[in-house]
Amino acid sequence: MWEQIRSNQVRSVILIALIAGLLLAVGYFLGLYFFDSAVGGLVIALVVWAIMSLIAFYQGDSILLGMAKARKIKSDDAPRLYNVVEEMKIASGLEKMPDIYIIDDPALNAFATGRDPSRASVAITTGLLQKLSRDELQGVIGHEIAHIKNRDVLLMAITSVMLGTIVILSWYASRFLLFGAMTGSGRRTSSRGGGGGAQAIILIVGLVLMILAPILAQLIYYAISRKREYLADASSALYTRYPEGLASALEKIGGSTRQLKSANQATAPMYTVNPFRKEGMKAADLTSTHPPISERVRILRSMAGGASLADYNDAYRKVRSGKQGIISKNAAAAVGAVGIRQASLSVPGELGLAPGKAAGKAAPGTHDASDIMLRLDKWRTVDCECGARWKIPPGFRDNNILCTRCGRRIRL
Amino acid sequence: MLALWIVLGIVVILILFIIGAYNGLVGFRNQVKNAWAQIDVQLKRRYDLIPNLVETVKGYVKHERETLEAVTNARNLAQKASSAGAAERGKLEGALGAALGRLLAVAEAYPDLKANQNFLALQEELTSTENKISFSRQYYNDSVLKFNNKIQMFPSNVIAGMFSFKIGEFFEVTVAAEKEPPKVSFT
Amino acid sequence: MLCPVCHKDALIVEYQDIELDYCPACHGVWFDAGELELLMASAGFEDFRRYLEGILNAPEPDTPERKHKCPACGHKMKKAYIDRDNKILVDICKDGDGIWLDGGEIQHLVKTLAESSPDKGDSQGVLAFIGDMFKHQD
Repeated sequence: MWEQIRSNQVRSVILIALIAGLLLAVGYFLGLYFFDSAVGGLVIALVVWAIMSLIAFYQGDSILLGMAKARKIKSDDAPRLYNVVEEMKIASGLEKMPDIYIIDDPALNAFATGRDPSRASVAITTGLLQKLSRDELQGVIGHEIAHIKNRDVLLMAITSVMLGTIVILSWYASRFLLFGAMTGSGRRTSSRGGGGGAQAIILIVGLVLMILAPILAQLIYYAISRKREYLADASSALYTRYPEGLASALEKIGGSTRQLKSANQATAPMYTVNPFRKEGMKAADLTSTHPPISERVRILRSMAGGASLADYNDAYRKVRSGKQGIISKNAAAAVGAVGIRQASLSVPGELGLAPGKAAGKAAPGTHDASDIMLRLDKWRTVDCECGARWKIPPGFRDNNILCTRCGRRIRL
Repeated sequence: MLALWIVLGIVVILILFIIGAYNGLVGFRNQVKNAWAQIDVQLKRRYDLIPNLVETVKGYVKHERETLEAVTNARNLAQKASSAGAAERGKLEGALGAALGRLLAVAEAYPDLKANQNFLALQEELTSTENKISFSRQYYNDSVLKFNNKIQMFPSNVIAGMFSFKIGEFFEVTVAAEKEPPKVSFT
Repeated sequence: MLCPVCHKDALIVEYQDIELDYCPACHGVWFDAGELELLMASAGFEDFRRYLEGILNAPEPDTPERKHKCPACGHKMKKAYIDRDNKILVDICKDGDGIWLDGGEIQHLVKTLAESSPDKGDSQGVLAFIGDMFKHQD
């Protein structure tokens, strides 16, 4: 594992330097064009970046969780989820138990955030919690814990902030440029008539850069995150010793994207307004499309021999039919043979909350996960003798309700 | 004069090496201890859960007295040996795990039991504890391997011999119990 | 959830894994998109989204009924007929978050669906169950 993280770090530093270079170039041309001073532009770019980085470093995780309306839970609120996170904490050798958050959303999603392994959080939507069996949940949590353990979370925060800065600067710059061009009052012509060719070249280079920089930065960002997604999958398989868990969870997540379009459309505006949040979510987002989900599933399913990193590497080569693996040789060899364990017997959904439900019934309509949210909000639950279950909000003042099914009056 | 300095230099380097190697060994030994403590927490948790489980299951499964007794006995044996070495404990914990597996498999045949909230909660806790035991065992064995390598390999083996570091014991749960997952029939 | 009509806290009632929001003050019922999907699927409507879109795309009738905001997304909902003959107007979220039925309208919805449901077996039970759900009101 060590070697792998090391080699990743070198690669990451290079990519971060690339993005930083891009950021400086944007600032340079911004200054040159608007203030006749390249240094001024550089200073602006650096100041914006520094402020955003400081915020991201100290408050990034709470901003992210706050925007996602995530609720922190304790072990009593969702025993199974808490247990699974603790299991993965032990398996990964993480020193501190991460905080656990639930997001009340039918979309299938999970992400990890935090500055370093000792201050980290995992968040999961109620939709995903509801759909996954214990083994699948373990696979997903293993993947998120791997992001924390491999320090992907901080790296993604750094790069996404830089990316966000580039996007913001380029956006404003291009708006000003367009506005200037349309009104035809470009001061470049009036103030420096004699500049001629060199001026025009700078203008064109600057324009092209403003348009390309965000795209380029995005591509670099993907390059960083893609490999890390594979590595987190490999780590998850190693931690859980059960690649099938993550594979079938990914399948559920991938299969549901079409149905959830409405939810995505609803949240889409929020994403575009705030690039920081958008990229932050992507950082460790399981559903992020970069490595295609189907391929990730196929790799996990091809892990025939065992659950070690070397096994994942072999599977990766086989599926991609390439010579190069995703994990360096030393890292793959560092861990000995790891067997794949048996599937555990469990059904989707949070456990032991609704009485009378047969354990074998994997009902898609159960509301255990959303019930966790209700309990966090201090809702009361009363069961009517006719079998209907009433959930009463904390602000409800009446001392009784009428069961509309059977006509009984239930005292509260 | 020069010779004296050289000898002095070698002595200093030697002392520094000894300090470094010794501290390294202590670090590894602490890691092993720490890892063992983690397993111990989970094993204790399992001892605590079992009486509750037996109590809950008793009312539902009338014809499984032997299975229940086997679990209770295995638990008591394992708990009694809780200060023994890793190898000895591994055997007893393996037996307990197997007995527990049989009980949970038997429970599958009782729908009423499987609808019992208390049982479901206990089942989740036990499943999780089993997982935590095996995950922390993995971590412990990795730590022992690293520690033992240090003790046996040159040059740190010299220091280990000087301060009589003893190699760590692996925690292996009896293979028979591991290879035999609870048999469940979905009827 | 707040009732879109009287803006008071709505109750949630769960029965046989279907969960609905119910306002005890005005007896209105909110069908969340997910619940609607479950309900429709169990009633044998495979392409319930088309049914919904049919309602959604119909021209908005001219009506004096007051418009309400969707309790899920907060946008103004659209008025739509689910039973033109009996003048049953419901509020439907333009983003597809769900449908709001005023007190009494649910029985009509169930009736319409029961008549157009392709298979007359199991689905009738489910629909009857939803109808039964709110039959007692004070």
